[in-house]
Amino acid sequence: MNQPILALFLLLAPAAVFGADSQWVLGPSALSYHVSHPLHESVGVSREARGKGVCRAGQCDFLIAVPVKSFDSKDSNRDLHMLQVTRGGQFPMVTVRVLLLESDLASATIHCDLEIQFAGQTAHYKQVPFQREAHGNDIRITGTIPATLADFKIDPPSLLAVPVKNDVPVKVEMTWRPM
Amino acid sequence: MAEDLTLRGKKTGCRIEDNTKAGRYGMFRNPLGDWLGSVRGAITVLMFAILSPFLMAQTAGTGALAGKVTDAAGAPVANAMVTVVNADSGRTQTAATGLDGTYRFSPLPPGNYRVKFEATGFQALEIASTTVPAAGAATVDGKLESEQKSGEPSLKDLGFTPDQTAGSAAAQARLDKRSHMLKIHQRLGLITLAPLAATLILSNGAASRNGTASGREIHAAVGGVTAGMYLTTASFAIFAPKIPGTPTRGPIRLHKALAWIHGPGMILTPILGALAYQQRSNGEKVHGLAGAHGAVGAITGIAYGAAMLSVVIKF
Repeated sequence: MNQPILALFLLLAPAAVFGADSQWVLGPSALSYHVSHPLHESVGVSREARGKGVCRAGQCDFLIAVPVKSFDSKDSNRDLHMLQVTRGGQFPMVTVRVLLLESDLASATIHCDLEIQFAGQTAHYKQVPFQREAHGNDIRITGTIPATLADFKIDPPSLLAVPVKNDVPVKVEMTWRPM
Repeated sequence: MAEDLTLRGKKTGCRIEDNTKAGRYGMFRNPLGDWLGSVRGAITVLMFAILSPFLMAQTAGTGALAGKVTDAAGAPVANAMVTVVNADSGRTQTAATGLDGTYRFSPLPPGNYRVKFEATGFQALEIASTTVPAAGAATVDGKLESEQKSGEPSLKDLGFTPDQTAGSAAAQARLDKRSHMLKIHQRLGLITLAPLAATLILSNGAASRNGTASGREIHAAVGGVTAGMYLTTASFAIFAPKIPGTPTRGPIRLHKALAWIHGPGMILTPILGALAYQQRSNGEKVHGLAGAHGAVGAITGIAYGAAMLSVVIKF
């Protein structure tokens, strides 16, 4: 075997065996929670999420984090109340960790296992479907996380002695870019 | 006797019923002496129980093992589990680190030990062998690496600073106090509506042509209660802790703006009312600034009601 072929083989072999590393960074995003009460509906939106994904050996590990106080429901009093009931002073970040196969990134619908840390609690959500659209190099991901207040041991706030509903779905709109 | 009391005595509130034969048949006895005897016996047993491990350890050796557990950045790791295993006897002891990350096993028989450090969120660290001398202390510090796998993204990778990611019990306590005070503010505000409405209704008996002295007095008294309750209500909002970096948005802006009307109004109205009361008591017709009492009171009441409505649809 001559030397150039040997050098090429040594260069390509690890990538062929373990798969090439790739990294993703979160671009523009909007995360919104929806709270329902018989008298009132409210939506809090945060556009301050940051995220990074690392794919290695065919396995991808994504981390998304957002400050709890960055959620804006257009009412600072309600936002501060939300910050208090979700123990945001002590646990100021929401983090979402996603593990998935790199091959799944090419699917139109990606089913993800999520680990969410919020309000000092960790909740796991299995096989949550997200829609994927490719826009050039960017990948746009949309979906809804079926979160509940009970998942994070949060006492439902009340309006006129009637508590809000336990279901607090979180709508996700994210754009991921390769690094 | 003392044992009987301890075993058979039935505790009822602060009194111990004596069910012993002596107690039941009225035999002479000294309850205080029995109690002291019982306590003395208990202390002896307790002291022996506490000291016996130390006494046994003294025979085995007087060495010690101590150290500090920190994270990769050098910050102390509290509540880390430290396990020491004697290489010869296999005897295992465990201890937890304090808030400053330190731990200590003392006394510890001299010999070779395996030391293991474990803490939530960190990879376990094991020191294969360390020697504890017969006299003095061996020091073994543990530097724990985060459980995060190599290459796994972290909050630091996302560009968040420790200030952003680290919460504090004090910050949460401030939020809790704020919410608590504002809940009282809301409830008192609602309750204050009752005397406020009563004051407005009673003004008819105080200021109309048919107004009487007693009508004026009742109106003044209820108005005074209203002003007092109002000031109490307002104080819970004024002195609630402020949360830095949270600009006012939404209906609360209107609520706060209206306070600039009903706040001064609630101070001015009783002053003007007192002037009007004095003039009427002197047999004069209400005149001058006092003539504005009714109008200022009405505007204050309307502003107060509007302030309530501005925040009622929220949680």
